[in-house]
Amino acid sequence: MKLDFILNGEDVSCQAEAGDRLSEILRDRFSLLGVKSDCRSGHCGLCLVSLNGRTVPACLVPAFRVRGSEVITIEGFEQTDEYSDLREGFRKSGAEPCEFCRGALLLAAASLLEERPRPEAQEILERLSTVFCRCHDPAALVRGVQTAAELRARRMYFRAHR
Amino acid sequence: MIHVTTVRSPACRGVLESIEAPHLPRGYRAIYAEDIPGENRLAILGSEIPILARDRVAYAGEPVLLLAGPDPGRLAELRDAVRVVVREEDPVLEWESFDPDQVVLRRSADSGDPDEAFAAAASVLEARYRTESQDHLYPEPQGALAVFDYDKLVVKCATQWPFHVRDCVRSVLGVKPQEILVLPTPLGIPMDGRLWYPSVLACHAALAAYLCRKPARILLSRDEDFRFTPKKARSSVTLRAGLDAEGGLTVLEARIVLNTGAYAPLAAELLEQACLQVTGSLSVPNLRVHGYAVRTNTPPLGAFSGMGAAHSAFAAESLASRIAREREEDPLEWRSRHFLRKGSVLITGERLREKTSFEEIGRMLRASSDFARKHGSYELIRKRRSAIRSEESPRGIGIAFGYQANGAAFAALAADSFSVESTLNKDLSLAISTSAIAGDEGIRAIWRSTAAGILGIPAGKVYFPAVSTAAVPDSGPSVLSRNVAVINRLIERSCVAIRGRRFRSPLPISSRAVHRARNPLRWEGDVVRGYPFESLSCCGAVVELELNPWSLEPRVLGVWICVDGGRIASERFARSALSTSAIAALGQCIRERLPLEGGRVPEDGYREYGVLSLAETPPVAIEFLPWDDGDPLKGIGELPFLCVPAAFSAAAAQASDLNADRLPFEGGEPLAGMDGL
Ligand code: FES
Ligand code: FES
Repeated sequence: MKLDFILNGEDVSCQAEAGDRLSEILRDRFSLLGVKSDCRSGHCGLCLVSLNGRTVPACLVPAFRVRGSEVITIEGFEQTDEYSDLREGFRKSGAEPCEFCRGALLLAAASLLEERPRPEAQEILERLSTVFCRCHDPAALVRGVQTAAELRARRMYFRAHR
Repeated sequence: MIHVTTVRSPACRGVLESIEAPHLPRGYRAIYAEDIPGENRLAILGSEIPILARDRVAYAGEPVLLLAGPDPGRLAELRDAVRVVVREEDPVLEWESFDPDQVVLRRSADSGDPDEAFAAAASVLEARYRTESQDHLYPEPQGALAVFDYDKLVVKCATQWPFHVRDCVRSVLGVKPQEILVLPTPLGIPMDGRLWYPSVLACHAALAAYLCRKPARILLSRDEDFRFTPKKARSSVTLRAGLDAEGGLTVLEARIVLNTGAYAPLAAELLEQACLQVTGSLSVPNLRVHGYAVRTNTPPLGAFSGMGAAHSAFAAESLASRIAREREEDPLEWRSRHFLRKGSVLITGERLREKTSFEEIGRMLRASSDFARKHGSYELIRKRRSAIRSEESPRGIGIAFGYQANGAAFAALAADSFSVESTLNKDLSLAISTSAIAGDEGIRAIWRSTAAGILGIPAGKVYFPAVSTAAVPDSGPSVLSRNVAVINRLIERSCVAIRGRRFRSPLPISSRAVHRARNPLRWEGDVVRGYPFESLSCCGAVVELELNPWSLEPRVLGVWICVDGGRIASERFARSALSTSAIAALGQCIRERLPLEGGRVPEDGYREYGVLSLAETPPVAIEFLPWDDGDPLKGIGELPFLCVPAAFSAAAAQASDLNADRLPFEGGEPLAGMDGL
């Protein structure tokens, strides 16, 4: 089957088999290796992507579901100001996720900041718990997201008052 | 590209009678043990593991056949159609009271006069401490890729030991070392789960590529990875302690049993480290240790961060807390009469040459965690608990100490073959060539700071050429303590040598430093000799928790850690590494337990495996003992594995009034009084 959708801001199309999942399409057809493939069962959260504005595990999304949708992976998210806020927040707080978890953690944090511009520590930890990772420095991750929230608020303020 | 899938033994133990593969379509190939052109074995520190089982199988899930072909979906169907016939034998699963023929390795040591000391003891206490197997749960399941590049076979995989991969692939294919090139891929945080198993998968991918003449890839599913790759060894440590009339610990006898599963990978390394640290942070004048690594028909069990030492440190430190509790003494005060100090006699008969800092660490922890007040009040409540029925969650607080013996891990390996090479270039940048893999940026920050400090160049000018077995020297296995204690020392030595030639020879100047283990352990009968430490780093931990009054499920309220790790090159990275280790150690205390049913890990066991989520992790407060700029850098990443479990167990015992002598905690025997104390 042919799939047409918007991937990281660009119109794309590809062929897919009936049983294909979005994670396989993104990795194998588009070489977007920031989408990790771990449990392939919705358990670990390492394959998170944004699908029509909602953060979902790509391994649970059947390929046909993405027809006409907008998909953003970590590679696309890296081109945004929201990403810069988070990267800067993580850097300042000393949160250093490994290459495997980084994309999913940043996307999970970004989705939280969309909903709750000033999240509490527990909300951050709960949201980031969707991504499985053993090597946590929870305090640094909380500081990282809260610093990003401040940077984001400041950026929005300046944009509104420019 | 072809994909490789593994057909596995359905039985835990038996004779492999036949493998009946279905007719394979064109482009697909079955690879049997007989097809292996070189040796069908992987050697790892004295243990040998077949690449594909040939006559016998030793655990359910052991690879017996590989299928290679272009379509992974079709391969999975073909794999399910293979019939593996095994004449089953009763699996050997008992390990605490083992048969002599299960013993893979025995280590014994005596120091002082234990018999005399027991005869003179005013009281004797015996306790047994057990830990379960834990999964490393590194990010992404294991896999390997093998591709041809002109006259070489290039193997890519996430490994802690690239030269081990090269040597295994070379011997399995029966080719020369220079025909194999290993390029390691990012590791994440491996927790020592990628020490040797990547070599097995690399051999599988390399075999398929070699025999089919096509690039080949093997990638385990998370379920396969969870069920069939090696996990942390299970342990049972029985301690018998003799005390004098004042409660002083005069003698300790230990029986350490490690269940190392099938093939007992790394048994020597684990058992020797466990024996070496059998007294935890305590100095005991008379000591007897019997250690056994035992084979069973479960998947291989072996390394995990804390390498063997964590098993015995948990037992020794828990026993210390128990003695103090039963004597109604403050656990810190009781310990301060027994701490290892410079000059204390070690199990090897040598005297400790370094000063330890347990006293200062204890003082800092006491202040930061408010230990004395909380411990006193929880103890009062514990004693009155039988009189007052309360539905409130009982609380407890525990303290424990430990040390990381830097340089002791893998000290017995052929030491002279490991090296690091540094080159100061014309633009004053410094290339450090090493096959050691830094799991995170923290280790590299330490290496950079060491080199930059010696050569007086900015840290930003130090870089690490990509690791390839053709381009960098073999620096040995990358484990947390070794990366600092050994690799950093080699970087230091090579940079000092460059500094010495700096204005005498033209740039570029290169220098290679070769590792020589100072004095590795040597076991001869009941005697062990040697002084294997490069340095010691010390640590203490306090854990405070509350228990659900009905289910006894623990909720950790806080963890306090204090570390003396010499000079800390980057506080930020050090905190992050310690926090990671502390939380993984707590996971083992609270609920991480490999589900083993009849020697097998059940399908989808991964989904049930309880790991602490971020939302459940308690605050971890970390402090460091002050250091001077001239102090040496030491490894610290493993320290929480050596003291957090025993601090947890002491807290759980206080909260529950039970002996929390088994991890994960699930209650235990009621606390028993000690006659004569
Ligand atoms: S790979 Fe998608 S949730 Fe794990
Ligand atoms: S950040 Fe990747 S495993 Fe934790």
